[in-house]
Amino acid sequence: MNPQSQKAIVQVTRRFSASAERVFDAWLDPNTVGKWLFATPTGKMSKIKIDARVGGSYLIVECREGIDVEHIGEYLEIDRPRRLVFTLKVPKYSEENTKVTIEIRALESGCELTLTHEGVLSDYIASTTSGWKMILGQLAATL
Amino acid sequence: MTSASSHYQLTWVALADPTRRSILERLSHGEARVTELARPYAMSLNAVSKHIRVLERAGLIRRRRDGRDHFLSFNPDPLTSAAAWIAAQRSLWMSRLDALDALLQAEDAATPKTSRRKDKSR
Repeated sequence: MNPQSQKAIVQVTRRFSASAERVFDAWLDPNTVGKWLFATPTGKMSKIKIDARVGGSYLIVECREGIDVEHIGEYLEIDRPRRLVFTLKVPKYSEENTKVTIEIRALESGCELTLTHEGVLSDYIASTTSGWKMILGQLAATL
Repeated sequence: MTSASSHYQLTWVALADPTRRSILERLSHGEARVTELARPYAMSLNAVSKHIRVLERAGLIRRRRDGRDHFLSFNPDPLTSAAAWIAAQRSLWMSRLDALDALLQAEDAATPKTSRRKDKSR
């Protein structure tokens, strides 16, 4: 492997006024997921398949400007409403399999969610314009 | 003098806004005039120009003048560090979580448990 490749860990924390259960369920309910997770205002969800059990897989496809963007992965841990771990791959952009860990802590009112996304920071992403076009495309899509 | 951290801060701020991200996305496909860039947005040319200035300060946009025309292009250099990549990914996840929060709040608004809203308007 290229020595420039390195593991990147991205972590974000956010509070919700909704309960831990509702926030947790929003990740696994096919009717909800399509409205926010990999949804973009100009895109159109074309396929959502969720097999919400450990070892089960998901497929979320959104059509963006005529191109189907697939998000695929497998559930590694499901512990409602505290913890959810799944793999994530977006073949259109990268063949890397990344891992997303969601931890939800109930608060007196609402909850706090911590998301940790671990992946391989490919050297092409870190050092080339094409990698950045990809990231910017994704960012811009999340308007 | 610009320290590495304040430069990183500028990049971060520049990327934090969805309009600016979409401007960069457009420019990543090639050079464009300011007016061409502004066209798809439901905001004044002046408002778009402000966004462009933020991106220029962060070094993410280069400006080239040809007579009266100003051409803008994308400069990925500030983004080529791992820290910036992580910043962009964080920003992407934050946007998704914002969308989730908005969705849950919209659900709450659609199914009022009390008549508080009505009382408030009186």
